Amino acid sequence: MLVGLIGPLSLALTACETRSSNELTNRLVVAQASDATSLDPQGANDVHSALVNTQIFETLVIKDDNSQILPGLAERWELLDDGLTYEFYLRENVYFHNGEEFTATDVEFTFLRALDSPHVAHILGQVDPNGIKVINDYKIQIATLEPNAPFLQHLAHSSAAIMNRTAVTESGEQVGQNPVGTGPFQFEYWLDGEYVQLKRYEKYYGEKPAYKELMIKVITDNTNRTLALKTGEVDITFNLPTSDVNMVEKNEHLRLFRLANFITHHIGFNLTKEPFNNVLVRQAINYAVNASQIIEDVLNGVGEVATSPISSNVWGARADLAGYEFNLEKAKKLMLEAGYENGFSASILTANTGISPDIVFNVVNQLSKIGIEINIRQLEWGSFIESISGNDHEMYMMGWSCVTGDADYGLYSLFHSSQGPKAGNRTFFADDRVDELLDLARSTININERLEAYYEVQEIIVEEAPWLYLVTGETLVGARANVRGFRINPGGHHKFASVYFQ
Amino acid sequence: MHKYILRRLLYLIPVMFGVSLVVFTMMYFTPGDPARIMLGESAPAEAVEDLREELGLNDHFVIQYGNWLKDLIFNGDIGSSYRTRRPVSDEIIDRFPTTLRLAAAGVAVSVVVGVPIGIISATKQYSFLDNASMFTALLGVSMPNFWLAMLLIIQFSVNWDLLPSSGLDSPISYILPAITLGTSSAATIARMTRSSMLEVIRQDYIRTARAKGQVESVITNRHALKNALIPIITVIGLQFGALLGGAVLTESVFSIPGVGRLMVDSIGARDFPVVQGGVLFIAIAFSLINLLVDILYAFVDPRIKSQYK
Repeated sequence: MLVGLIGPLSLALTACETRSSNELTNRLVVAQASDATSLDPQGANDVHSALVNTQIFETLVIKDDNSQILPGLAERWELLDDGLTYEFYLRENVYFHNGEEFTATDVEFTFLRALDSPHVAHILGQVDPNGIKVINDYKIQIATLEPNAPFLQHLAHSSAAIMNRTAVTESGEQVGQNPVGTGPFQFEYWLDGEYVQLKRYEKYYGEKPAYKELMIKVITDNTNRTLALKTGEVDITFNLPTSDVNMVEKNEHLRLFRLANFITHHIGFNLTKEPFNNVLVRQAINYAVNASQIIEDVLNGVGEVATSPISSNVWGARADLAGYEFNLEKAKKLMLEAGYENGFSASILTANTGISPDIVFNVVNQLSKIGIEINIRQLEWGSFIESISGNDHEMYMMGWSCVTGDADYGLYSLFHSSQGPKAGNRTFFADDRVDELLDLARSTININERLEAYYEVQEIIVEEAPWLYLVTGETLVGARANVRGFRINPGGHHKFASVYFQ
Repeated sequence: MHKYILRRLLYLIPVMFGVSLVVFTMMYFTPGDPARIMLGESAPAEAVEDLREELGLNDHFVIQYGNWLKDLIFNGDIGSSYRTRRPVSDEIIDRFPTTLRLAAAGVAVSVVVGVPIGIISATKQYSFLDNASMFTALLGVSMPNFWLAMLLIIQFSVNWDLLPSSGLDSPISYILPAITLGTSSAATIARMTRSSMLEVIRQDYIRTARAKGQVESVITNRHALKNALIPIITVIGLQFGALLGGAVLTESVFSIPGVGRLMVDSIGARDFPVVQGGVLFIAIAFSLINLLVDILYAFVDPRIKSQYK
């Protein structure tokens, strides 16, 4: 916390420094806050590992900026009559980094292996182990256990990356340190805790990167990471703190990339506990909190007010819901109606890192104006997750990332009554109509039916207010001014192959 | 003396057993599920359960500890990291040389700065130099580590562009972290040197040497210092041991992949095998340093050597 205060002050005092950029040495250096844990796409699903794996591996399909599915390693595909099986026609003349040709057996191997990995169960758990059939070298059928509408969206996720059977079998236990993929970058070296070194794959079938080397560095301290950007040691830096936005924008040697991501920051209520079992109370709280003020004061203008449980860039999200505008009078009226005109006291749990504590302080302050006294408990991450996995919590602060960009992922585990707190439904929300709609939307592939179902679901969930809807996040990336061609991926799977210097 | 050393080494075994049991118990009862943390909060509950089974987390405490001990004693295996699946020994050995070099550099700075300051303070007690040194020592001990690190980075890395701000690519990368680490240790060593020297200087044999006409600098550096060394070496040893345990804050600010950061990250992720192995490793390192210090005593003070039978 202290460092957080000193950091911006110190940065404000420093002169603007530049060194010769990495452009001259034909390499791109990017920095993130933590090291990857494993370069096995099925061995870890944290964002830091995903950032590295996204450069090395490829998926059968990819998504464009509007979440439309485009060909990746699969050129085309069709859903067979049973509604369960997709037949994929694979790209030919694609080679893995070890020289082997990419064929259907690699795809079969990848998906069978995925079924054993708990890390990717939320992405590939729907695949039917008996439904994977290799037709020939470039044609394969993959079936799901039940009709699964978001399946292709899941296949575009970096955890569904295709791995080479020979390489994985040979690596044995070391597979997490010896990644072999089909992507534009080839693995060279991993200096544990410091950086991963990649180089351009010269036999890549698509457009090759403009530079030869890619180094993904680890700089744990926020201030130091931004400093490295200022001095030119690093070309692109991730995990940029919101407090650095102004500095980066004003600095003529730097530029800021920002894009809405899939995260919805919210405070959840435990609907089994009084007074949160009363919808009027929940709605009152939503009216009483001014989310725009939070964005201005706490987040330095980063983010948008949330009017739905899923952010507007998610497929199936509604951008037209009115949500709860800031209205203190209405809040007080609702509290009176609910029988709590003198307020009440409650407790809230939050993790002690990131923006959560700051947001919580602000919210607690705002809610005191309608008489609600809240006791804040900050916990270390592991303990925090444990504390909200049972039925002890009253309120909690969370950010849920809808990583697949499809509404199902952002709604099902959170609001379906079959999902308990360990799966994501920590509010114990249970509504028959919502259950019905979510099940329908998950299984039908009729796009209009899905959209209609999700539209109604969102309306109900906002009306019932199991959450205090706060902010949808923005990913902030700082870069040197000469970096071009970089696009932020809202799910965090940024690709560096298209980057070039100018 | 060899028997003494052997005995000390054998004592390590019950100590290690005790340490491992305490750490294991603490980790076992700490809230937080390693599987859930690893898979993220959006993972389905079945996946978390599967991973718990795979890692043996549902076994009883005694069974888990027993398995760990068994692997250690019969296979020499202290387990694999839950997160990276690499052997814990690899994880630690990858980082230990860095921590060792960093600790050594830090101790070097603290000795080179602290001992002379302590000597000067003692020989010129109550002078301006003495007061100034002790005041600086107080500052050094009070300054937050990471704050000093930040200041050094801003001045030497950003403003003057002299030294790297992170990583350990070249020998000069060690300078700023070493200064950061060495500063508070230097203060402690300076104060200990001063008080130890003050005690020795008042001794009769010093007065005798002076009366015999010995040069003052020889009195200070040979007679006084040598007799004052025991407490000073003790403090240096303790500081070195502490630094080996990992200077987490410094490692975080400078992004140095050392043992300290490994431990903190592993505790946060509930990566039990790494925490277990890491603490054990640090405990052994610390004990060995203590042994080395005790042996050094024997060479500094022959009276002690005779006690080591």
